[in-house]
Amino acid sequence: MKATPPQTEFHLSRRREDRLLGVGRQALLKAFFGGNAIVAVIVLLLITFFLFREGLSFFPQYRSDMELFRRSGMEYSSIVKQEHNQFNVLLGQLVNIRKQQIETLESKGLSREDIARQTAPMQAYIYSFSDLSLPLRNYQIKVRDLASETYKEAKSNAIEHRDAPGHAHDGHEHEIDYAGTISQIKASFPELTALNNQLENDILRVLREFPELNDPALRSEAESFRQNAIAFAAGLPRYAAALAEASPEQHVGLMESIKAFLFGDHWIVNNNGHSLFGLLPLLTGSLMVTGIAILLAIPFGVGAAIYTNQMARRGESSFIKPCIEFITAIPSVVIGFFGIAVFGTLVREVSQVPWLDWLPGFPVAERLNAFTAGCLLALMAIPTIFTLSEDAINRVPRIYAESSLALGATRFQTTMFIVVPSAISGIVSAVLLGIGRVIGETMVVLLCAGNRIRIPDFTEGPGVAFQPVHTMTGIIAQEMGEVAQGGIHYRALFCVGVVLFLLTLLINFAAQKIFHHTRVGE
Amino acid sequence: MKTSLSEPAHNPFLPRPSTTRRVELVVRWGLRGLTYFILLCISTILLTIAIKGSQAVFQAEWPYINVEFLTQAPETLHVFEADGKTHELSDSQFRATYEANGLTPPPDRTYAHAGGGIFPAIIGTLLLVAGAMTIAMLLGIASAIFLSEYGSSGPLLRLIRLSILNLAGVPSIVYGLFGFGLFVIFLDWNISLLAGWFTLAFMVLPVIISASEEALRSVPTGFREASLALGATRWTMIRTSVLPYALPGILTSSILGIARVAGETAPIMFTAAYLLRDQLPWEGLDHWYDFFFQGVMALPYHLYVVSAKLPQNAYTERMQYGTAFVFLIIVAVMALTSILLRIKIRSRHNW
Repeated sequence: MKATPPQTEFHLSRRREDRLLGVGRQALLKAFFGGNAIVAVIVLLLITFFLFREGLSFFPQYRSDMELFRRSGMEYSSIVKQEHNQFNVLLGQLVNIRKQQIETLESKGLSREDIARQTAPMQAYIYSFSDLSLPLRNYQIKVRDLASETYKEAKSNAIEHRDAPGHAHDGHEHEIDYAGTISQIKASFPELTALNNQLENDILRVLREFPELNDPALRSEAESFRQNAIAFAAGLPRYAAALAEASPEQHVGLMESIKAFLFGDHWIVNNNGHSLFGLLPLLTGSLMVTGIAILLAIPFGVGAAIYTNQMARRGESSFIKPCIEFITAIPSVVIGFFGIAVFGTLVREVSQVPWLDWLPGFPVAERLNAFTAGCLLALMAIPTIFTLSEDAINRVPRIYAESSLALGATRFQTTMFIVVPSAISGIVSAVLLGIGRVIGETMVVLLCAGNRIRIPDFTEGPGVAFQPVHTMTGIIAQEMGEVAQGGIHYRALFCVGVVLFLLTLLINFAAQKIFHHTRVGE
Repeated sequence: MKTSLSEPAHNPFLPRPSTTRRVELVVRWGLRGLTYFILLCISTILLTIAIKGSQAVFQAEWPYINVEFLTQAPETLHVFEADGKTHELSDSQFRATYEANGLTPPPDRTYAHAGGGIFPAIIGTLLLVAGAMTIAMLLGIASAIFLSEYGSSGPLLRLIRLSILNLAGVPSIVYGLFGFGLFVIFLDWNISLLAGWFTLAFMVLPVIISASEEALRSVPTGFREASLALGATRWTMIRTSVLPYALPGILTSSILGIARVAGETAPIMFTAAYLLRDQLPWEGLDHWYDFFFQGVMALPYHLYVVSAKLPQNAYTERMQYGTAFVFLIIVAVMALTSILLRIKIRSRHNW
């Protein structure tokens, strides 16, 4: 039996060499191209699959890690640490008051000795205040040492267990004395209660000895410190209650680990063997930088598109268009380099100008911050927004404009009230694609955003734009080179990648939907 | 007649001044200002890098080009004071001057990576781009031919197109993550040229497929029908009546893809790029296939390192701006080629 060539093809040539294993040459060619297409699609599917496989396996691992953390009593230690951190925030406020004091004295032109003499009471007060927390610190170290030993043991055990699961049954696995540690820690609770009572009294006593301040601005700061300190002292029993409430035996669910990842507000790697992977600081950083960039890029990109398409002369627009499109070709790392070498310094120098003090966030403390990165990212989003918006405006059927002009509207009125609103869906999708481009940009944020992993202090109002941030793309680029493969940190970074992937996919998809559904004139 | 000429103010067709006209004028000039501000920003960036970078690449005396910067590997820069003057010497020169002659070197400050040149990085970038584009174009153009010429439109094809379109917007760092996980760790290729090629190729694949398909589809159907009507087979039709007209368009998009590949840092940061590698890619190989399993230096990564890790001062500036300048020129040449090619093609094929 001879295989018949595909019926859809009509062959004039009947040469023998056209057949291989009974299959026609045309069919082979088709198979070749089809095979390539399949390979391409498989590759792209593979990317998605691989990303999700690595990323989603983070959660079970994080869950078991959190469980070990809880069972070994580290959770107790972290509660005490919170208390200590809270105290340190108060201390920071005091130090800040002193810093301001020194600055005002310096601006008055006093010598170094005079300044030291005048700020001496404050300095002494800071020392005495910080001494108050010594017992608390000792207690924290004690609890931490107790728990971290068990935690480390449990963790190495878990790793052994994972690497060689068969060995678990032959008695190789040594029992970890969770209960012993917990009971030891629990036995020390009265110590903390006593310590807290002492601390409360001490704080209230020391507050009365607060040194006199002459500056009215500093006095209001001191008042806010006083109130914070009183609130802290009053809230001390809270920590003891939290200790009593924490139950180390409680099982950690998978949902809890997902929540801890998505809504956790700390990203701390390897702190006493324990890591916290909370996405929130990175997500806020990414969104903040993107927000700044898009707010700047929309007026520029869309405005330039309207101008080039509707108002500019032909020669002018054929000059502007390739110029703006050329920005796409500039590598992002070059723009990032410009930011770190020139623009960041420029922003800080401009912000030092005294008569710009009224602007929020000025003078800028950090050279590299969300604003620096946002400005440069705006520049990178402009060509995307410009090109696509210009296309959208260009696609508005001529009859719209002609009807408008025929009714007596001026060219300007036609542009602003007929042509641009008709193209609005295209413009919106252009802006969305611009957002997608900015949120996935790595090098500019890595170089210019300041890379501080903390949720920015939004109480500062608009000045928050001048704080350093870290972003999701930045953290992957920064930490991926140094992780142990297959470890929890490696998986956490993949998980961030999954979030990025989904986010950009969503934005792209939305842009296409908007673009296709409300297209005019078709 | 005479009165109307002498008093043009009475011309009834002249627009009267009004608030609307004033608003119009303000908006027009505002938009013009925005547009030219963008151009101003971009020319500031380019000029800053060009002016400072050209100081590193060009020099006042013969041969006018800083040969060392373009042909040497990066080295540590030694800065020292001697005879009341400040000298800057790269590590090898420093050694040659002092240690070889048995002199005691003067006290110096050193800046890692700030001396020498960027030759290995240029070579590495070109190698990465060439390999990645070969893979991406073979796979991408063949896929596009299938999608546009062989595939019969249906839900499956629409799904493929949609996924390709969507994948084109995925951030490059995600591709880097994927490449690191799959090639470097899972397949154990280590940080290598091969891993970088595949990572970069897959990154531009969606762009190349959709652009090539666009180019293929813009060839009029009449060409295909005429060819088939003359009795040509489908492949002959594609070869003689479609590809020759689509190829320029495909090449343009591919060159744009090259510019993109050359400019990307994130995907190669942990798949292919080394911070410093003394040997050139073809030096010191045990087997010929080791060529593919070695990391290379690359301009974008080098620029990232020297701008992020080095302090900003007069001694490190040469390396920083020089790298940025050379890099920019390489990418700009690629982008410009594609733009010129596009203009030329558009004027030639006007169906």
